[in-house]
Amino acid sequence: MSQVEKRAGLLRRTSSSKKPLKEKVVLMYDEIFKEDPAKNNPRFWDELFLMKVNLEYLESKLESVDGEEVQRIQDNINSLFHHCVQALGEEHQIKVVNALQTLCALFRGVHQKNKSASGFDIINMLMGFDKAEQRMKDLMERLDSLLCGDGSESLKSLCLKLLLCLVTVTDNISQNTILEYVMINSIFEAILQILSDVSSRGQHGYDAVVLLALLVNYRKYESVNPYIVKLSIVDDEPTLDGMGMVVHQALTEYNRQYKDKEEENQGGFFSTLTSMVGSMFIADADEKLSVQTNEAILLALYEAVHLNRNFITVLAQVHVYFSLLWFYLCVCCTVMNNPELPLDPNLQTSNLLITFLKYASIVMQDTKDEHRLNSARLCLIILTCIAEDQYADAFLHDDNMNFRVNLHRMPMRHRKKAVDKNIPSRPLVCAVLDLMVEFIVTHMMKDFPMDLYLRCVQIIHKLLCYQKKCRIRLHYTWRELWSALINLLKFLLSNETTLLAKHNIFHLALLVVNLFNMFITYGDTFLPTSNSYDELYYEIVRMHQVFDNLYCMVLRVSTNTGQWKEAASKVTHALVNVRAIINHFNPKIESYAAVNHISQLSEEQVLEVVRSNYDTLTLKLQDGLDQFERYSEQPKEAAFFKELVRSISLNVRKNVSLNTLSQDVLLKEFSTIS
Amino acid sequence: MMEDTDPDLSPSPSDQNSSSPSLSVCSSPSLSLPSTPSSSSCPAPGPAPSGTPPLGVISEGPGELSLVIDAEVAQRACQEVLQKVRMNQTEVEVDVGGSQNGAGPEPALSVTIVKPAQIQIREVEDDPGSVKSARRRQRHNPSKQSWLLRLFESKLFDVSMAISYLHNSKEPGVQAYIGNRLFSFPHDDVDFYLPQLLNMYIHMDEDVGDAIKPYVVHRCRQSISFSLQCAWLLGAYSSDMHISTQRHSRGTKLRKLILSDELKPAGARARRDPLALTPFCPAVSGSGEHGLSPSKRTHQRSKSDATVSISLSSNLKRTASNPKVESSQDEPVRLAPQREFIKSLMGIGKRLATLPTKEQKTQRLISELSLLNHKLPARVWLPTAAFDHHVVRVPHTQAVVLNSKDKAPYLIYVEVLECENFETSSVPIRIPENRIRSTRSVENLPDCGMTAEQRAGSFSTVPNYDNDDEAWSVDDIGELQVELPELHTNSCDNISQFSVDSITSLESKEPVFIAAGDIRRRLSEQLAQTPTTFKRDPEDPSAVALKEPWEEKVRRIREGSPYGHLPNWRLLSVIVKCGDDLRQELLAFQVLQQLQSIWEQERVPLWIKPYKILVLSADSGMIEPVVNAVSLHQVKKHSQLSLLDYFLQEHGSPTTEAFLSAQRNFVQSCAGYSLICYLLQVKDRHNGNILLDAEGHIIHIDFGFILSSSPKNLGFETSAFKLTTEFVDVMGGPDGDMFNYYKMLMLQGLIAARKHMDRVLQIVEIMQQGSQLPCFHGSSTMRGLKERFHMSLTEEQLQLLVDQLVDGSMRSLTTKLYDGFQYLTNGIM
Repeated sequence: MSQVEKRAGLLRRTSSSKKPLKEKVVLMYDEIFKEDPAKNNPRFWDELFLMKVNLEYLESKLESVDGEEVQRIQDNINSLFHHCVQALGEEHQIKVVNALQTLCALFRGVHQKNKSASGFDIINMLMGFDKAEQRMKDLMERLDSLLCGDGSESLKSLCLKLLLCLVTVTDNISQNTILEYVMINSIFEAILQILSDVSSRGQHGYDAVVLLALLVNYRKYESVNPYIVKLSIVDDEPTLDGMGMVVHQALTEYNRQYKDKEEENQGGFFSTLTSMVGSMFIADADEKLSVQTNEAILLALYEAVHLNRNFITVLAQVHVYFSLLWFYLCVCCTVMNNPELPLDPNLQTSNLLITFLKYASIVMQDTKDEHRLNSARLCLIILTCIAEDQYADAFLHDDNMNFRVNLHRMPMRHRKKAVDKNIPSRPLVCAVLDLMVEFIVTHMMKDFPMDLYLRCVQIIHKLLCYQKKCRIRLHYTWRELWSALINLLKFLLSNETTLLAKHNIFHLALLVVNLFNMFITYGDTFLPTSNSYDELYYEIVRMHQVFDNLYCMVLRVSTNTGQWKEAASKVTHALVNVRAIINHFNPKIESYAAVNHISQLSEEQVLEVVRSNYDTLTLKLQDGLDQFERYSEQPKEAAFFKELVRSISLNVRKNVSLNTLSQDVLLKEFSTIS
Repeated sequence: MMEDTDPDLSPSPSDQNSSSPSLSVCSSPSLSLPSTPSSSSCPAPGPAPSGTPPLGVISEGPGELSLVIDAEVAQRACQEVLQKVRMNQTEVEVDVGGSQNGAGPEPALSVTIVKPAQIQIREVEDDPGSVKSARRRQRHNPSKQSWLLRLFESKLFDVSMAISYLHNSKEPGVQAYIGNRLFSFPHDDVDFYLPQLLNMYIHMDEDVGDAIKPYVVHRCRQSISFSLQCAWLLGAYSSDMHISTQRHSRGTKLRKLILSDELKPAGARARRDPLALTPFCPAVSGSGEHGLSPSKRTHQRSKSDATVSISLSSNLKRTASNPKVESSQDEPVRLAPQREFIKSLMGIGKRLATLPTKEQKTQRLISELSLLNHKLPARVWLPTAAFDHHVVRVPHTQAVVLNSKDKAPYLIYVEVLECENFETSSVPIRIPENRIRSTRSVENLPDCGMTAEQRAGSFSTVPNYDNDDEAWSVDDIGELQVELPELHTNSCDNISQFSVDSITSLESKEPVFIAAGDIRRRLSEQLAQTPTTFKRDPEDPSAVALKEPWEEKVRRIREGSPYGHLPNWRLLSVIVKCGDDLRQELLAFQVLQQLQSIWEQERVPLWIKPYKILVLSADSGMIEPVVNAVSLHQVKKHSQLSLLDYFLQEHGSPTTEAFLSAQRNFVQSCAGYSLICYLLQVKDRHNGNILLDAEGHIIHIDFGFILSSSPKNLGFETSAFKLTTEFVDVMGGPDGDMFNYYKMLMLQGLIAARKHMDRVLQIVEIMQQGSQLPCFHGSSTMRGLKERFHMSLTEEQLQLLVDQLVDGSMRSLTTKLYDGFQYLTNGIM
C-alpha cells in the first residue's frame, strides 16, 4: 500500500506533509475501491472520464487488491468497466480517450493480480458473469465503430493499442478467455478496412497486422477460430495488397537498418583490419549486426501465405510507391486530368517476395540466438508454403518477370564477399535457390541446425518437382547446388558420431541423395542444356569418394541392429543409381587416361568420356522421387508456433508501452475540438 | 448487388438535354426531319451562301429525341431538296413517293443510266482542279443535273462517291443531299471514311459541316465507340489549327459536345445498366462465381456458400462507406470508363519514357499493368478489335517494351470476353488471379478459402465436420499429378508419358530399368524439338515475345488466366504509342486498305497487310500489332543468317512445299509493298521497319515518312522502293521465274490501282485540308502522287516503267547506304 501511496504522491515527494496531496482522479479511484461511488455523487462517472487517467496508479491499485477485497469491490469494478464501455459511445472525445485508457489499465491490472486465476474468475471480476457477454459485445461494437468511423486517427490508434493490450495480456494467448468474446464479436472487418485504406494503413497498418496475426493464433488447434476462417477467404485485392504493403514496409525497414549497421561496421572494419586479423573480428561484427528481428510481422506474413490463397498474388505484386499512389489517385479522382507525379528513375522496383528473400538472407546468416533461429525457421516455413503453391511457382518461374535480388552473404574467411553489383536479372526462383545454396554452404557447424537443413532441402525438392512437372528448363547454374549438396554429405560423414547423438542424419542424407536422383532420372524434363546432364555426371564422378564413403557408412549402420537400421538402409537403396554411375564411368575414365597416357584428365576430356559411354549404362527407376509430403502445421509445427506466439505476445506487451498510450498528443488534438 | 445502386444517380443532364436547344442546327420548331418541302423555308443559322435558296438540314430540335431518324425518311427529304435544286428540270419524272427504298427506278432504266453517270464522275473527278467549271456545267446543263440525281439514286452510288461529291461539290444542295444520304449507307462503309468526313467538318466551309453534322450526331447517339472515335479524331485533326482559332472552331465544339456526353441515345433514360454507374471499377466479386463454374462437390459447395456470404456481406458493408469507390459520379458515365482506360495506358507510356534502361522500363511496365488489372474487368474495350468485347484482364507479365530510342511504345496483350454488344451486355464478374486452378482441376475453387482451410488442417479436429472429412482431404499432390501430365500430353509427344510411369510403377513390384543414354537423348531431342526461339536479351525484350507463335502464346496465356475457361475468351494485342503522331499512319492504313480492296476486286494476288490504327490525339494512339512477325533486323541479329538461309532454316529446303509457299508469299507481299512504297513514297525503309511473318510475307510498318516527307532530309533512299539482293535471292535470283512473277504482279497491281486511282487520291486529298502533316509538305504532293499512277502510259509503257523501277531499286546504292547509315546511327542491321 505504501508503494501505491508513493506513486500517487510523486508530485509532492519533497513535501514534508504526511498526507500528500492527491490528484483528483486518484481520489476518485480510491473511492471506487471503497464503496459505490455513485451513491454520494450521481455524476461521479461523468466526472471520472473527464479526468486525466493515471494508469500506473489504477493498475497498481488493482494489483494490490487481495482476495476478500475482490469480493467486496467486484461490483464497483464491474460498474467501472460498464461505464468505460458506455463512455466509448460518448461524443466527447476526451471521455472516449480516457475510457479506452482506463479499460487498458483494467485489463492489465486484473490480469497481473490474478496470474494463476482461471479465465472465468477474471471475467467475473471485470464484468460479472451474467453480464459479460453483453458488456463485451458492446465493447467490441464500440471499438468497431470507432475503428471504422471517420473519427480521429489517434483515437483509432488507441483502440488498436487497447486491443493489442487485451490480446497480449496473458503469456499464452490461448488461455486468455476474454478473447472468446472477441471471437464471437468479430472485429475482423474493421481490421480489414484499416488495411484497405491507404491513409489509415500508413498509420495503423502495423498494429492492425500484428493484432490480426495474434487473433488468428487464439486456440488455433483446439477450436474453430473465426479469424482463421475469415482470413482464409478474403479476396479483396486492395485489402490483401494493403496487408502485403505493411509487411513489405516492416521488412524493408529491417533490411535498411541492417544495411546501415553493416555500413557502420564497415567503417570500423578497415580500421580494425590493420590491427586485428582473424576470426575474432567476424564474431564481433556479428554481435553488432544483430538488429532485433520482427517475428510478429513474419508471423503475419506466414498466416497470410498459409491461410489465404489469394495472398500469393500479393507476393508478386510489384510495389512502386508512387505508382500505387497514382493508382489510388486515379480511382479517387477520375476527373483529374493528368496525374503527373514526380518520378524517380532510380527507384528500385521491388516486391514483397524480393524483400522477404533479402530479409531471410539476413536472418539466416546467424541462427545462434533463439529469436533469430525462430525467425529463420519461420522464413523457411513460409518458403515451403510458397514452393508448394502452384500459382506462386508459376510466377517464381515466370521468364518474363526478371529481377535482381541482392541477397546478403555471410562474410567468411575462405571466400571473398561477392561483388553483388552485377547480379543478372533472373526469374525469382533463382534467388530462392541461391538462398538455399547459401544456407547449405554456411551452416555446417557443430551445433547443426538439422531442422532448418531439412526444410531447406525440401524446398529445393518441391521446386524441382514443379519444374519437372511443368517442364520448365530453368537457366540456373545447377553445379553450385550439386557441389553444395555434396559438401553437405561430406560434412555429415565426417561428423557422423557427434551428429548422430542428436539427429537422424540418414533422413537428411536420403533427401539429398534423392535430389541427385531427381536430376539423374528426370533431368531430361527440366535441365536447360544437354551439357548440364553431362556436367551432373562429371560432378558425381569427380566427387565419387563422398558417395563411396556414404555408401560404406550406411551399409555398416544398416547391417548392424540399431535404431538407425531402417533409415540407413533406405539410403543404401537410394544410392543405387549414383553408385551405378560411378562404377560405370570410373573404369572408363581410367582406361581412357591409360590409353592416352594422361595422368590428369581435363574436364573436357572427362565429359567426352561421359558422353560416349551413356549407352551402356542402365539405371533403376526409383519410385516416388517426384512426390513430397505437403506442409501441414498440425501436428508437427504446433509446438513451435505456440512458443513463437508466446514470445511475440511478451514482446508486443512490452512495446504497447504506457508512453504510446500517453494522453498528451490526444489532448492537444482535442483541445481544439472541444 | 450492383443493381442496388441508388437510382438518384441517374444522370440528370439527359433531362436537361432534352430541353436544351443548344443542339439544334436549325432553330425551326419543326419536330423532325424536314419531311415536307416547307422545311426549306427554315433559315440556316449561319450566313447562308448567297444565290441559293436556304436549305433545311435535318434539325436536331428538341422533339427529335422522341423520333428515330429513319434512313428512308431522310432520303425522301433529300430527294425533295434536290428537286428544288433542279428548278426547271422536267425531263425525268422522279417518282418521289415510290422510290422510298433508296433503290433507283426500275432496273431496266438503271442500266441505261449507269453508263452516263459513270462518265460524269470521270468528268468531275478527272478534273478536280476545276471543280468550278464542272459545277458550271452542271448548273447550265439541266440534263447533267438529272444525270447527277440519277447517279445519286442508283445502286452504284457508294460511300466513296458520296465523299468525293461532298468534297468536290460546292453546291450546298448537293452537299445537304449527300449529308442526308449518308444515313442510308451501311455504318461500316461510312466508318472507313470517318477521318475524311471529320476533316471536312473541321476544315471546310459551313455548308459541308452542316451537311455532315446531323449524321455524326446521330451516330454518336447510337454508339459509344463511335462517339469516342469522333472525339479523338476531331481533337487530332483540329490540332493543326492555330490555337486561338482552334478553341472556337466547329471541330472543338463538336468534340466538347460529344465528350460532355449529352448525346445520349434518344429516349434512353440512361439507366439501362446500373453497372455503368461505377465507372471502371471492378465489380465486387461474389456469389456470381458460382454461376460461372458450378461446383460439383456439394459438400464443399454448401459450406463455401456460407463462408462466401460472410465475406460478401462484410465486403458490402465496407465498400459502402469506402470513399474511393464512390468518386467520379460527376464525370459523364457513358464514355468515362473507356476514356479512363485509355488515359491510364497513355499515362504508363509517359512515365516509361522517363526511365533510362529497357530493363527498368519493362519492370515498370509490368508493375503498372498489374495495378491496372485491379480495375478490370470493366466496360472498356480495344477499339482496334473487330468484334464487341469487354476487357477482363491484362496479362501483365507478357507485356513488352518495344525498341525505340527516346519514346516508350509498348506492346500489351489483352484478354477479352467476346459479347453481343459491349454497351448493353453486362460486364463480366471479376475472378481473382490465382483461381487459375479452377479451370483445370477437379477441385472446384469458387470456394478457395475452404481449401486453404483444409491446408491449415485445423478443421480435421473439429467433430462437427467429421462427415465431410473425405470431401475435405482432397490430396493436393494427387491433384498435381492428375492435372499436369494431362497438360503436357497435348503439347509434347508420348515421351512425357514417362513421368506417369513412375507413379504407376508403384503397384508393380518389378523394378523398372531405364538407360541413361535414353535420358540424355530425350534431353537433347526435346531441346532441339522446341521451336526456334530467340535468346532473351534484356535490351531487346520484344524479340522473344514476338517470335513466339501467336497460337502458342494464346494457348499459354489462356492456361494461365483465370478467365481462360470461358468459351468467349479471346486474346488481343495492341501497341500503345505515346508521343507519336499516328495521323500519317492512319492515312497510310486507309490507302493500303483501299488498294487491298482494289486488288481484291481486280483479282490481282498481291498481298499486303494493313494494320489498324487508332488515333487518340495528335501525339498518341494505338496500333494493332501484326501477329507472328518479327522485324528483319531481329531476324538477322538473332539468327545471324542471311535472309535466304533463314528461310531455309524456317521453312525447309528449296524444293519442299513449305519453302515454295513461303517463297510465293514473300514474292506476293514484296510486289504489293514495292508498289505501295513507290506510290506513297514510303521512306525510312530500314530492316527494323520491315517485318517477316511466319508464312514468309513481308510487312512494312512505320509510315512516318510518306509522300513529301523523308527522314532528316538527307536525300538518301532515292530508289523507288527497297529491293536488296537478299530479297532477290529469296525470290530465286534475278533470272528466276519467281522474280519475273514478282515483276508481273507489280505490273498487274499498278494497272489495277490506276483503274481506281480516284478512290486512292480522294483519301489523301481530303486529308490534306488544313493539315500541317509533313507528308503534305510542299505544294506538289497531290500532283506527284497522281503522276505516279501514270494515267497517260500504255500498258507496254507501264511494263517498261516497272522494269526500270525494279532495276533501279536493285542497283540502288542508296538502299545499301541507308542501311549502313541506320546501322551506324541506330544499331539496326
